[in-house]
Amino acid sequence: MSDLAPSFEMMNIEEDNSTIGPDFMLVKRHIEDVATHYFKPLTRQWTNPPIRFFNLRSQWETDTAMLSSITEIAMHPSYQQIIGMGPSVIPLILNEMTIKPGHWFWALKSITGEDPVQPKQRGRIREMVDAWIQWGKEQNYLA
Amino acid sequence: MDSVGKGAKLSGMTEFAIRKSFPNLTGQNFTITSPETPEYNCIAWAAGDMEAWWWPDANNQYYWPEEVPRNESLRAFKYLFENLGYQECETANHEEGYEKIGIYRDMQNKTTHASRQLRSGVWTSKLGSSEDIEHPFRGLDSSDYGSVFLIMKRPNQS
Repeated sequence: MSDLAPSFEMMNIEEDNSTIGPDFMLVKRHIEDVATHYFKPLTRQWTNPPIRFFNLRSQWETDTAMLSSITEIAMHPSYQQIIGMGPSVIPLILNEMTIKPGHWFWALKSITGEDPVQPKQRGRIREMVDAWIQWGKEQNYLA
Repeated sequence: MDSVGKGAKLSGMTEFAIRKSFPNLTGQNFTITSPETPEYNCIAWAAGDMEAWWWPDANNQYYWPEEVPRNESLRAFKYLFENLGYQECETANHEEGYEKIGIYRDMQNKTTHASRQLRSGVWTSKLGSSEDIEHPFRGLDSSDYGSVFLIMKRPNQS
């Protein structure tokens, strides 16, 4: 994320500013993506796991935002490529979940072979996210 | 529940993204009625639940009633709503005293979406992780969603 820091600083915006709406966050994400493409040549992006992850995540989110089928969401080529990146993306996914809850559960289960979500929590996204974040802390993926 | 977030029209960017996905929607025939959230989906919304994402995924990670077969067939989705008191019916026309849902199927015969009719006769849908909208019955016909394949109704619950 350090490559993207200038865009945040220029805008002088705090991540957790409660007055920021979802549309602004969307615009901010696009600015991040533009900055990524500007500062990093494509060939370097593919050898840099964080940048590759953010590019794939952006495409996946755009293409699947209106879908309800978890199967379709998880089978998206960008999501499958993220899974294919292996354990290096675990901290990136967990950090992403702390910022914006999303459907990362399939990927995490596929990569780690674990599932800390209790049966009664299935489908309850915030509880599922909390279970995975707790797991990430226990496994030292998160501070 | 019908009035949740009503009038929460968001920016032109959100509206543009929705219109791009659903060509039958115009600036005049749909309304965004909630903020985007991944906490529930169209199936949950049609079933009246805003606290869980309902899907019969093979990974067994999302909510699906235990008494309903956990597969993505139209039969399983029909059984899901039969369990909630719905029965198959012929038309999407508004009928006093009844609430209706529509189940969508795409060109590959995959179940993709469900929408629910409000007492006003307008239909409401949760669009994946995006917003809830109110829309015409055929407003969501598209390549992603396909079209309504099954209509079901039950007596109003309250």
